[in-house]
Amino acid sequence: MSLLDRTRAVLDHAIQVYRGTPHGARLVATRGRLDQPLRVAVAGRVKAGKSTLLNALVGERLAPTDAGECTRIVTWYQDGHTYQVRARVGREERQLRFNRENGQLDIDLGGLHASDVDELVVTWPTRALRAATLVDTPGIGSLSESAAKRTWDLLVPDEEETPADAVLYLMRHLHAGDVEFLRAFHDSEVSRPSPVNAIGVLSRADEIAVGRLDSMASARRVATRLGEDPSVRRLVQSVVPVAGLLAETAVTLTEEEVGQLRRIANLSPRDAEELLLSTDRFVRMRPELGLTSPERESLLARFGMFGVRLASTMLRRGVAGTATELARELAERSGLTQLEDLLSSLFLERRDVLKCRSTLLAVADVVRAWPGPGSEALAGEVEAVMSSAHPFNELRVLSGLRAGWVSGKDEVVADLERVIGGTGGAAHQRLRLPEDAGHRELTNAATDALSRWQRRAENPLTSYELAVAARVAVRSCEGMLADLLSEHRDVRTRH
Amino acid sequence: MTKAATAPDAARAHALVDLGLRACEAFDRPDLAARLTEARRRLADPVINVVVVGEFKQGKSTLVNALVGAPVCPVDDDAATAVPTFVRHGEKAGAELWRDGDTREAIELADVRRHVVESSDGEPRVGGVEVRIPRALLATGLVLVDTPGIGGLGSAHAAASLAAISLADAVLFVTSAAQELTRSEMEFLRRARTMCPTVACVLTKTDFYPAWRRIRDLDAAHLAAEGDIPLLAVSSALRARAVKNSDAELNAESGFPELITLVREQVGGSAEQRLATEAAAEVVALCDHLETSFAAERAALADPAAAQRVVDELTAVKSHVERLTTAAAKWNQTLSDGIGDLTSDVDFDLKARIKEVTAEADETIEAGDPADTWAEFGPWLQARTAEALLSNYELLRERATELSERVGEHFREAAGAAFTRPSVHDPTPLAAAEVGEDLDLKKMRVVKQAMVALKGAYGGAMMFTLVGGMVGIILGPIGIGIGLVLGHRGLREEKKRQIQKRRTEAKNAARRYCDKITFVAGKDSRDTLRRVQRELRDHYTALAEELNRSNARALTAATEAAKRTQASREKRLKDVDAELARLAQLRAKAVVFS
Repeated sequence: MSLLDRTRAVLDHAIQVYRGTPHGARLVATRGRLDQPLRVAVAGRVKAGKSTLLNALVGERLAPTDAGECTRIVTWYQDGHTYQVRARVGREERQLRFNRENGQLDIDLGGLHASDVDELVVTWPTRALRAATLVDTPGIGSLSESAAKRTWDLLVPDEEETPADAVLYLMRHLHAGDVEFLRAFHDSEVSRPSPVNAIGVLSRADEIAVGRLDSMASARRVATRLGEDPSVRRLVQSVVPVAGLLAETAVTLTEEEVGQLRRIANLSPRDAEELLLSTDRFVRMRPELGLTSPERESLLARFGMFGVRLASTMLRRGVAGTATELARELAERSGLTQLEDLLSSLFLERRDVLKCRSTLLAVADVVRAWPGPGSEALAGEVEAVMSSAHPFNELRVLSGLRAGWVSGKDEVVADLERVIGGTGGAAHQRLRLPEDAGHRELTNAATDALSRWQRRAENPLTSYELAVAARVAVRSCEGMLADLLSEHRDVRTRH
Repeated sequence: MTKAATAPDAARAHALVDLGLRACEAFDRPDLAARLTEARRRLADPVINVVVVGEFKQGKSTLVNALVGAPVCPVDDDAATAVPTFVRHGEKAGAELWRDGDTREAIELADVRRHVVESSDGEPRVGGVEVRIPRALLATGLVLVDTPGIGGLGSAHAAASLAAISLADAVLFVTSAAQELTRSEMEFLRRARTMCPTVACVLTKTDFYPAWRRIRDLDAAHLAAEGDIPLLAVSSALRARAVKNSDAELNAESGFPELITLVREQVGGSAEQRLATEAAAEVVALCDHLETSFAAERAALADPAAAQRVVDELTAVKSHVERLTTAAAKWNQTLSDGIGDLTSDVDFDLKARIKEVTAEADETIEAGDPADTWAEFGPWLQARTAEALLSNYELLRERATELSERVGEHFREAAGAAFTRPSVHDPTPLAAAEVGEDLDLKKMRVVKQAMVALKGAYGGAMMFTLVGGMVGIILGPIGIGIGLVLGHRGLREEKKRQIQKRRTEAKNAARRYCDKITFVAGKDSRDTLRRVQRELRDHYTALAEELNRSNARALTAATEAAKRTQASREKRLKDVDAELARLAQLRAKAVVFS
């Protein structure tokens, strides 16, 4: 029985036990979640660039972005058949009018005040949202108290499961508030401060070196350092730098904009440098370029200073010739491509585990808060799944590793983390092989890993904790081999 | 205030103090010259601390570098400033390390980076770094203090920054154009303003953010809600390039000319003016003393019949003033009682605050599993205790200032008789002039002089506890009692047991830490208060002795006047009037400053 099936069975039992109570309805709603896309929240401090990054991930400018603080309502972006926007006010839902201008979605609250609306749900048929529903949140540390409180309620509700399955946490520099926030977000049971469902994003990465051309290299250094920091490691899986604005623009780049950038690229490097010294200079100087001030301002708003410098330099040096090439280069250099890869290997491939985890936590919460006839048996069932399902054991060992509970030689720990899927769930990632590794290569590596970890598990000199973890690794290897074998059979049957 | 008015301020105060010193010599009062000499030293070599504070990565170090036009503070894309850097004027460029306490050590300028930038290795931290470079901007005594990012109001760094601000002459609050002021920035700003009223806000990185004007307007609105805080938008990058290429146009674009004017005139000017006012107050005090004896002599000379009454009055004052110097004097009683009360109040406050922290720590530990939270718990506890210590320090400062005012009040009341001129008819209009204003001035002077003494007493005391001492006290690790439990049975019970054990251990560690902090901080504040007591006692005892001597002079002069012949009396009367007129001139010059 797969984990998904077992979870469903537990949930169905729970629905039966709590039928007719308000909690029953909540559990029924949870059941739907198991079949829906993974829910990924984009969270972080005020002005960390959450909406901008969300737009980059969707590939359309759906979330409003602005220089001032602007997201004040928790907004869900989900896939669907029709384009529509609904607002939830207390228990009732209302359809809202919207329009798109210059590719930017503009929602008319229809007389409602932002503080009255509990949630906005934007349904938008697009491929990007089919894999995951994205949630935009108001920043924490906001000057408007209530906006910050909403994010807190969404991600860390009192005595309830979190509505999001995973989170992209945007940080600009590690603040005390960041750590507190992250810690509270991770729930109990499977593993408390667990790096299993969070990825750290060093956002607005182009600003770290204030827009110098080597900004992203600098940002990568900072991200690596943050990712190795023990207190960050225990909270997020990995930290990647992303220049959100540039990423958003890269996926929505227009030919017209490329044409405008070409004019700057045609200047001599010296003249271009003088022009791009400051935003004010860029708007004002060199009228002979044939760009109007509003055009220049909109270029700045779309690319930022770093983007204009980088894109015009790439055009001048011929790194990118066409709009398509430029878009791809910018997406790559902005860190978006790397983030998307990470999202897919850490969240999307593991979505069933993450969703089951959310579901079981929800049941456990109900059982704990409202014990009744039959709830004790239910608690036992939840615990049985939690403690025996292999994917959860992997997660538990992973967080144990990240928390520093399990220790050993550096290379052994790194190997362990990989084998149990810490860097991605696919076999080639677990075995540290290239993506195009052949079936035989994978099988050989998996067999090696299996015997390696069996030895470690049985070695009397291995510490107790590592031995326990090693047994989980053995099980992971066995699982990989079993998958590889059945894959092999499938191929043969088809022939 | 305009530049034309500031420069002569210091010069005029200087000339005034010189006049006063000459008067001391002429009238043979070296005892009165001591304080004037001190005021003169302060005027000649003023130290004006401008503390540059703000969140992480807002460009504080870059701003300081751009202000002085040299890379004195290390700048890095990643690592942040970890220790305060004091940038001051020096004929020769050089740098010094301050270790805890008073030890200093000269280092190479190139090594500054190694000591200032945060590092992961656990090398013992230095208290601060001082960099000296020859710069006209700093030549007036300006010291720019670059500080570590505050990282939220509740952090240890924020507490240390606030402690530094409490001793500063002005604060430059740095925020970048990346975003509008956040709630924690505003809270910090509010708090900083109660400790140092001269605050200016600097908006940095305007070259990079196209929307900087919007951010500026948003910030201005936030600041307007707090009162009159100037906001200046600058670009350090443009300024650095302008300095390199001597490009005046670019320099103007960078916004730095306005910032330099602000620092030089408002900050520097107000500090200079404060020093000048303090110096002038000393001169007025000198006039009081000298006039007392001349006025008494004049009264005796002008009306021989009244001479005996003058002598009688002065004799009465004499015993009164002598009592002022003894321990039984009311001001002295107020002081020792006050310090006693204050010591126990401050101690109680500290204990209550730490107790609160301990309770909160217990609650936090109880709410989670220390094995998970310990790494963050340490900094949290440190920040929380730092905050408690800071509040305690604020209480100490506030109450010590109150006490100093009360002591000053009692001293003034008791000394009033000595300052009042003899009750005989006084034909010269000058001595009777502006009695009301005179009293106010006297009160202000007494308080001001005491404040100068006070500042010396607690200068840096708490800073040490906050930055130096607290780093030395570590929370220490707890046995995690590893709980990687897998498998079916007893998972929950075993987990519970382990967590309970870890919690107990964690609570004990937290308590030990708080005890140590209480011990160190308690000793520190007792020492500070003892120093405050000593400074104030010495200050007022010296004042009483000066009064005593002035009164003795007056008594001698009046007694002699009664013995003179008619002719010599008239001649002396003319001399005395001339002296009084001269003193009146000096006083008039001094009064202009206040």
